[in-house]
Amino acid sequence: MGRHTEASHRREVFTGTRTLLKVALHQDRPKIAPWVGLISVLSVSSILAYRWIFPDLADRKTLAMAIGANPAMQLVFGAPRDLLTNDGFNAWRAGALGAFFAGLMAIIIVVRNTRADEDSGRAELIASGVITREARLLVAVLMATVAAVALAVVCFLLTWASGGEPHPTAVLSLTFAASALMYAGIAAVAAQLGSDARSASSIAIAVLGVSYVARGYLDSTGAEEWTRWLTPLGWLEQTYPATQNNLWPLVPAVLLAIAMVALALGLQRRRDFGLGLIATRPGPARAPGLGLPGLAVRIHRGSVITWMIGFAFLGLVFGTLAASVGDVFASNPAMGAIIASGAATAEGLRFAFVATILHIVGIVTAVMGAQVLMRVYAEETDDRVEPVLATATSRTAYLGSNVLIALASTALGMAVAGTVMGLVAGASDAGIGFGDVVRQAIVTIPAVWVLVGVSVATVGAEPSRRIAGWLVIVATFGITLLGPTFKLPDWMLGISPLYHVPNVQAPSPGWISLAGLGAVACLLYAVGFAGFRRRDVH
Amino acid sequence: MTPPEKVIAIEGLVKRFGSFTALDGVDLDVGRGEVHGFLGPNGSGKSTTIRVLLGLLRADGGHVELLGGDPWRDVIALHRRLAYVPGDVSLWPGLSGGQAIDLLGNLRGGLDRARRDRLIERFELDPTKRGRQYSKGNRQKVAIVAALSSDAELLILDEPTSGLDPLMEAVFQDEIAAVKDEGRTVLLSSHILTEVEALADRVSIIRQGRISQTGTLAELRAQTRVTVSARLAHPPTDIASIPVLHDPHLDAHGRLTATVEPDQVNAAMAALVPHEMSQLTVSPASLEDLFLRHYDDERAS
Repeated sequence: MGRHTEASHRREVFTGTRTLLKVALHQDRPKIAPWVGLISVLSVSSILAYRWIFPDLADRKTLAMAIGANPAMQLVFGAPRDLLTNDGFNAWRAGALGAFFAGLMAIIIVVRNTRADEDSGRAELIASGVITREARLLVAVLMATVAAVALAVVCFLLTWASGGEPHPTAVLSLTFAASALMYAGIAAVAAQLGSDARSASSIAIAVLGVSYVARGYLDSTGAEEWTRWLTPLGWLEQTYPATQNNLWPLVPAVLLAIAMVALALGLQRRRDFGLGLIATRPGPARAPGLGLPGLAVRIHRGSVITWMIGFAFLGLVFGTLAASVGDVFASNPAMGAIIASGAATAEGLRFAFVATILHIVGIVTAVMGAQVLMRVYAEETDDRVEPVLATATSRTAYLGSNVLIALASTALGMAVAGTVMGLVAGASDAGIGFGDVVRQAIVTIPAVWVLVGVSVATVGAEPSRRIAGWLVIVATFGITLLGPTFKLPDWMLGISPLYHVPNVQAPSPGWISLAGLGAVACLLYAVGFAGFRRRDVH
Repeated sequence: MTPPEKVIAIEGLVKRFGSFTALDGVDLDVGRGEVHGFLGPNGSGKSTTIRVLLGLLRADGGHVELLGGDPWRDVIALHRRLAYVPGDVSLWPGLSGGQAIDLLGNLRGGLDRARRDRLIERFELDPTKRGRQYSKGNRQKVAIVAALSSDAELLILDEPTSGLDPLMEAVFQDEIAAVKDEGRTVLLSSHILTEVEALADRVSIIRQGRISQTGTLAELRAQTRVTVSARLAHPPTDIASIPVLHDPHLDAHGRLTATVEPDQVNAAMAALVPHEMSQLTVSPASLEDLFLRHYDDERAS
């Protein structure tokens, strides 16, 4: 009898799952496809570009030396194992980054189909149907699984068709799928903890971000091999695509995913529909002084504080890295030769490294700034701008209060990361001055404001084109970090605003280019504000 | 300068979204101190008209005057003098209801604290709950309290009571009646016909982006057919042969129902007398008949 009820219970758990999965997949397919496409392009493009840019062994050896001596590149992309083959290059360039984006894709899918649906009330319609409590969560996880499998298959086929060897390509594609599965599980748990979609995705993305940066830190400092097991993204690296092609490190990844989903199901039984385990406290009954600035602060406060903690953490990690960069240079004979020849000083190289790291920080702050602006548009589509503009509040003041938050928070983010980085690096005997690091962080701010300006211009004037706000950040990321590797001409590198950031240690820093950045930023903000005054608000 | 007679004056208002014409020449007049009912089926252009009045949408054609000013150009000055309740209230998830009320009041240029507290009590609203915790009706109450706490001379209400329970609906009607007694003006878009019947001095009906009828309820009734119902001892073989009767229906027991143009009631009686009427009722159109007829025409066209 016990077995009978258990079996029938198990059957009941899945009641409605199939129907719901079908409908939900149909709904989400157009949203999942771009992720699968973009991550596959990451892999395909490195296969194609490698043969084109590094045709012979000499080029490839130069590349391997340059990357091996550049901890910043290892921080972002991971430790290179073999840059002399096409697949080895792909494993390095697409491996860590692809796993990151696969994880992000899974988080977005799971949160959208759990908490976001509860917030909008759509889930209530579904939950009232013939369906178990577990089914909605299972469907979200299954959708992420479908996306993970689709990603592995599409990425494998496209990369293989572009000239990747089947075995390493299969291993690489499977690490992407494994990452999606792990972070789907983590997002399922986060969806039970957060009290709404936004806090749920913040929790899950924070876990992803911390594991990525931790992996980068371990890779770039050449830490002990066993430490790579400390972060789930490190497990994926242990597959060594193109060199060892190990599949067994994917077993713990799948086990983690299963454990997380089981935990999420357990937590879901313990919480009420529409609420998280982290309960909402009652708010104040009145707010006599609350006005437009207060509203803008309250809308963005939570996410900006989270970001600031992240920037302090980034500063700490990067500062430690900058302090140890001297050792890395010393242990690299090629770099030693360059320094010995007098072509560059060790201090100059270290500071160039600090400046590059601050470019990365700048890109991350720009993501935060763009997010602030995208939130402004979300407020509009959620009908919360209409009642505000129906009061004696001008559109300029409304947009302005939010743009001010974007400008101030990005500047503060650079300052926080720069200060922590300067303190940590300055305390070491690496010969990097605290003041120089902070000043270099400050002069990076105008370039960040240019990047954020694209979001201001589109959200203000033409929100249907707001994707440009993200694209410009992705393009800048690509040009800044990969442009030099791919030997792009100067005019192309110059498209990135970060290219024009002066080096404060240079004898004559390019202050004029700083003024140029300011002018471009002003133009973008003017377009945004003028457009927002003129267009229909919904 | 004497205050303008008309608080809202719209002439030939056109608004297009791409190739779709949402408003196709709307004319609407609302006089000072009047409660004006604004009715129409879903998607007929009520909210679009209101958004143009609020300066959220830019008119593509026609002339719109609000409180003697241009709603697109004089946004700030005009908005100090009006309060708005949207039909679908979306609150800031992290702000409490009390904070949202104060915020909207502060942004308008201040609110009457005593009145705010009295309204919160009357509408039985818990102001300490967060935006995301309120039910639809309670979100609506937050917006209503925020609007009614002001001294605004014009209230623009877009289906303000959707989701309110009947008790709260009664409180709302009571409060609007008080607003009217103070001589303030109200534009009330609603689907709750009893509410409009109880409050509105005049009514405008919008259909497919045009005002199809406007006037006092009495005037609208005068234009709408009267319902006649009677039992006939000798029913005619072909009821359709009596031309003054519209939509006639005759059941097996000789019970006739039909509608008659208001000025043809006498002629209808004369035509029916030979068939020996009993249990006769002649009733003027209810507001509901009036709208059902309008909404039906729309579906037919």
